[in-house]
Order: sequence, then C-alpha cells, then structure tokens
Amino acid sequence: MTQTTFSRMPGGGISRRPLHVIILADCSGGMKGEKMQALNYAIADMIPHLEAWERDQEQARVYFRAIAFATEPRWHIREPVPVTGMRWRPLEPVPKGLTNMGPAFQMAAEALAPENIERRALRPAIILITDGLATDPPGQFESGLSKLMAQPAGRSALRLSVAIGRDAQSDALTKFIDDPAVPVLVANSTEDIADRLVAASLAVSRMSETGADRGAVARRLFGLPEGMSGVFNQDTIV
Amino acid sequence: MTPPKATAGTAAWHVVASTARGRSHLARGRPNEDAVARRHLPAIDGIVVAVADGHGHDRHFRSATGSALAVQVACRVADDLATEPGRFRRRPAPIERIRDQLPSAILGSWRAEVARHVSAHPFTEPEQAGLDVDGDGPEVPYGSTLLVAMITPAWLVCAQIGDGDLVAVKPDGGYCIPVPGDAALDGLRTTSLCQPSALDSFRVGTRDLVAGPLAALLLATDGYGNSQAADPWQPDWARDMAELAAERDREWFAKQVPGWAELCASGEGSGDDTTIALLLADRGAGTWTR
Repeated sequence: MTQTTFSRMPGGGISRRPLHVIILADCSGGMKGEKMQALNYAIADMIPHLEAWERDQEQARVYFRAIAFATEPRWHIREPVPVTGMRWRPLEPVPKGLTNMGPAFQMAAEALAPENIERRALRPAIILITDGLATDPPGQFESGLSKLMAQPAGRSALRLSVAIGRDAQSDALTKFIDDPAVPVLVANSTEDIADRLVAASLAVSRMSETGADRGAVARRLFGLPEGMSGVFNQDTIV
Repeated sequence: MTPPKATAGTAAWHVVASTARGRSHLARGRPNEDAVARRHLPAIDGIVVAVADGHGHDRHFRSATGSALAVQVACRVADDLATEPGRFRRRPAPIERIRDQLPSAILGSWRAEVARHVSAHPFTEPEQAGLDVDGDGPEVPYGSTLLVAMITPAWLVCAQIGDGDLVAVKPDGGYCIPVPGDAALDGLRTTSLCQPSALDSFRVGTRDLVAGPLAALLLATDGYGNSQAADPWQPDWARDMAELAAERDREWFAKQVPGWAELCASGEGSGDDTTIALLLADRGAGTWTR
C-alpha cells in the first residue's frame, strides 16, 4: 500500500468501528458464594482475550457494558467502556433475588436503539450468563425479548448464552439465542465458567472480522455439524 | 457570507477519485472489491462518475467482478442516455428522461454483462452446487452496490442502490443528500444489484445547479463513512469541504484524496475497502463570484 502524506482531511477525524459487547449477568440469590466468585473471575479473565484480539485486528474498537439482573435489572457498567485497560468491578448477588430476564432484555434493547448506538457500529454481542431458569411472570420474558428483537442491532446481534450448571440450560436460553445452530454453552462446574466465557469472547471476536468464514469458526468453536452456521454466517444483503 | 453564484451553463466539474484496499482484505489475501469509473460526456458538457462496492461475503464470490462491471455499465449507460435522436443529430436528453430510465437501463445492462461473464467463466461444480442449495440465481455471486452521478454545468442526476454515501456540498458549507434514504439500510446489511427486487431498491434524485449551485459532490463506498468518528459526520465534513473547495485547487485534492482513502482503509479507520470520488466545481471557469 502506497504511503501518502496528506495535510488535511475534512470532518471530525476517523476511528475504528465500534463493537459493543453487553454482558447480561445473573445476580439472583442463587448466585451467591462460589458461583458469583467464579463468574467475576471468568469475566475478568475474558477481558484480556478481547483486548488481545482488539490489538491484533485492525477493524474494531471493543466497548464493554454489563447489566446485572435479579428481580430487577440495573446497569453495572452503563456507559460503553473501551475494553483496553478496563478493570472489572465485581458483581454482587442480590439476596433472595429472582431471575427475571425480560426486563434485562428490555434494558439492553434501549441501549441498542438506533438513536443510542452508532450507525457504523458492527453487529453487537450480547452474552447472557445465568445459573437458573427464568422466573419472569407470565409474558414478561417474551415481552422483553421481543423488544430486544425489535431493534435492528438487537436482532442482528450475536447472542450467546452461558448456563452455569446443566439445570440452567432451558428453553428460555434457546429462545434468547434464537438460532438452532448456536448451542447454549454449559459450564458444568465453576471452573468451566471461565472456559465458556473465553469461548464466547473468541466467538465475538472471530465472527466480527470482515470476511471471516463465520460458519467454519462456529463449527470449530462450538462443534457444529457441517451446514449449520445460522447467525454466524449472516449475509451482508438485505 | 454571500454564497457564490454560478453563471448559467458555464460551471465545469472536475473529478478526483481514488480507491484503497481494506486492511482486513489485505490480511485475508482478498482483493479490493470496490470499483470506480468516470467518463466525460462531451455532448452535454458533463461527466458521469460511478463507484461500487462488491459484497465480499462468501456467497458473493465474484463481487469484485460484479462491482467492476457495475461502474463500467453505469458510465456506458449514462453516455447512451445523455442524448436522444434529434432532427439532424443527437441532442441532449431531458433530465427527467435520464432520471427515469437510468436505474432500469443500468440494471438491465449489468445483468447482461453478468450473463456474458458467466458464459465465458462458468461456475465450477461446487460453486453451482452452492448456488443450487441456496436457490441463488447466477447474479448473486456478483453482488454489488452502486452509486452514480451525472453532472453538467446546469444539472445533476444521481442514482444509488445499497449503502455508501452521496453528499452534495453547498458553497456556504451546508449539505444535502441528493437521493432519498432507504429504511432497509440499517448499517449492517445492504440492498444489492444482485437481488430480484433491485429495481425497486434504486433511489434517484436530481438537482438544478443553476438555482442551487454546489461546491462539491462526494460519492464514496461505505468504508469511508464507516471510518468517520462523528455521528452524523456529514455536517462538519461538508463545512470543511466547502472551505477546502474555496481555498484549494484540484491539484491539491488530487494529492490528498488517495491519502484519505488509504487512511480510511487502514487499521485506523474502518479497515474496509474505501473508494472516494470527489467532484469539484471549477472555480476557475470564470463563473464563481462572491
């Protein structure tokens, strides 16, 4: 590529395209103790993987946010934080907190509304981490999820789910992912949580690369059979 | 500041264009899948410029060819439509006729060129099998966007399908987008020449340049807009561009624009193929007064 010096380019400068990663973290009462400790460790461990990827590729700037949900959701990290140099502030479980996912989806939907996200942003990634079944009152889970899917960025997002314990693997997580080609990542033990989040971060990073053979990446990361690539191989045309 | 005025029928236009291969394409050994072409239209004292962006997805494995065909066809069709038969010789065509016929003429010619290319370069068995599995027609591998501008001293006709940016800069630093928007373009996916519904996806616009003169016109593939840090980027960009157009000559732009494309295509910008075609009103044509 020819190196050309230039003295002035119109406009407000250039930068890499934003890649927004939003964690939806279960902070219900059941997450207390070892599970929450392992989750905090795993998220802290995930961040350097995203940092390293951001450094090595030349396309995206990764921004990190987190929603903690129990009976109600709240922003744990509200404003997008550049993943480079980020320090994870541990989550705390909510005593006797339930596992209501619908309001967390709605909160994510608001963050991904067109007026709140850059038009040039890459497909975002949403990672739902939970140890239990959704406890939403009737209709609330579906209402929140439909609000998320009503946003273009929510609908096109790479949605992954990490279930802490086989009992947490449920239809709700499958509905959230909404792609039969994408499995729920199951952490059978607290030690597994970090591995699953690293796999998720690899998925986020590899799938975001322009021209990536996303189907091949999905098969490698998740052991998908040939021909199943779903959201990972989304075309660029309407 | 009093906006400059153009004397009717005497403003000339110059084109500065450049394309740069995206850093992400370079890393994967993929070619630049953008294309740009221009043609002088002496019969109407005008120019046509076209830029196109091949999709680069594995479903569109001949999109570099598709974009190249698109810009060539666009310039040829524009040349054909620019004039119509007169009593003794061809004469400039009415702008409305050009506007109305440009999309269908481009699309028809592009599909014909794609068919010719397929005939000369048949798909391999695996490629054809892939098309059959997806139910894709032969145009899909050639998928591309397209932006076209035909400009004379007196008028502008633009047509666009898919993403990318057309920005018209006014002498006072204001701007307008000369074609209607498309709600289907959500920044993540694009409409395309390769779709059966392509004709419906075209957007066209015209502008009277005597009543509403311009200082510059940008056609760019989305690698450029996706690199701009500001959101929206057009207001500041147009204001700066109007200043530059008033201060600098076309030789300066000819040296600058390649650097802009390279920077946007680099790891500091979108990392995507970036093509810029900048049309500049000729201040030296004796028409601009302040």
